[in-house]
Amino acid sequence: MHVLIINGSPRVKKYSNTDKILERFTGGLCEEGSGEGNTFEQYEISDKGQWDTIREEYYRNSNIIIALPLFVECIPGLLMEFLESLKVREDNAAIAYILQSGFAEGVQLRCGETYLEELTKRLGCEYRGTLVKGSNFGIRLTEGKARDKITAPYEEMGREFSKTGNFFSDKCRAFTGPEVFPAFVRFLLGIMFKTAGRKSFDKAAKSWGCTLPLDYRPYD
Amino acid sequence: MILIVNTTSETAVTKKIKEYTDAAGIETEIFEAGEMDISHCIGCNHCWLKTPGVCAIKDDYEIILKRMIHADQIWVISDTALGFLNHRGKNIYDRILPLATMYLQFKGDQMRHIARYDKRADFGLIYIGDCDRDYLERWNKRVALNFESESLGVFDHKELKEAVACMY
Repeated sequence: MHVLIINGSPRVKKYSNTDKILERFTGGLCEEGSGEGNTFEQYEISDKGQWDTIREEYYRNSNIIIALPLFVECIPGLLMEFLESLKVREDNAAIAYILQSGFAEGVQLRCGETYLEELTKRLGCEYRGTLVKGSNFGIRLTEGKARDKITAPYEEMGREFSKTGNFFSDKCRAFTGPEVFPAFVRFLLGIMFKTAGRKSFDKAAKSWGCTLPLDYRPYD
Repeated sequence: MILIVNTTSETAVTKKIKEYTDAAGIETEIFEAGEMDISHCIGCNHCWLKTPGVCAIKDDYEIILKRMIHADQIWVISDTALGFLNHRGKNIYDRILPLATMYLQFKGDQMRHIARYDKRADFGLIYIGDCDRDYLERWNKRVALNFESESLGVFDHKELKEAVACMY
C-alpha cells in the first residue's frame, strides 16, 4: 500500500505536534514484517511552496490520509484554503483522517469529525474514517520519554491502518479514550489545573522568554 | 455594542444590516474584513505562552481583536466552501485565541480555557452560499461554548431581518 499523507497543520513542521504524531504513525505503518512493502510520502500544508506538488500528488494518489489539529471545533483556516483549491474527484479515491487536539476528551473532537465525513463527500472521495485523539498539546512542551509517552501509541494505529486501510475498527474507536471524564477525575484534574497545571504552563512560558503573567490583559 | 465582521466582498449585506440596526437604534461596529489584510492562524501559541493576549502575526486582525473584548455580540459574515465557512471566515475564528488564556478549567463536564477578559460576547453567523446549515448551527454552538457564551444562531444572507432581530 502506498499512502499520500498530508499534514494539515498550519504550524511549521519543526514544531508541529501533528508531524510528531505522523512520525510514529508511519513508523507503525511501514514496520518490518506487518508493514512490509508499505510506503508513504508526506507533505506539509504549512509550506505554501509545496501546495502545487501536494495538489499533483492528491490527484495521482487514491489512498490519502489528512492529519490535522482541531482549530476552533473544525479544520484550520489554512487547510481550508488549500482544500478549496481542489477539484472534485470522480475516480474512487479515498481519504482517512487523523484528527488531534489539545483538549483530552473525545467529545471535544466530534464536531470536527462530523465535518470531515461531509468534506470527503464534497471532494468526491470515499470516507475511510477518522482516528480521533486529544491530549496532544504537551508534545511541543516535552522531549524524550515524556513526549514518547504521548506519541508512541500512534505506532499501533499505523499497524492497524496497514491491516485495514481505514480507521473504522474497534481498536481505532477505543484509541480515542473517554468521551468525558468521570466526575471524580474531573474533580482531581480541576485541582491539578489550579496548582501543578498552572505552574507547568508558567514554567513553559518562562522557557519561551515570557516575562508577563499568562492571564495578562494587553488591551484593557 | 454589536461587532460585525464581514469577510465577504458583499458590502450590500452590511449596508442592509446597518439600515435595520440604525432604524432599531442598535449600536454596531462593522469591519469590512474582505478588504483587510488578515492571515490564517499559524498555531504558534505565542498568544498563550510568549506574549500573552497578543498575536504574533502583525496584520489588520489586531484592530478587530481589540474591539472584540468590548462587544456584546460578535457576528461573522462568511462565504461558504465545501459545505462549511470558507477559509476567510474560518480565519476570523482561528485568530480569536488571544481572548483565551493557556490556563484550563472544567465547565460542566468538559475542559475549557479560562477567558482572558471579563466580557462574554455571544456569537452569530451569516453565510452566503451552499452549506450544511444544521452542521453550522451545531458548530456555532460549540464555538460559543468555548467562550462561555451563547450561540445567536446561523442565518442565510437572505434572512437579515431575522438575524438583526437577534441583535439585542
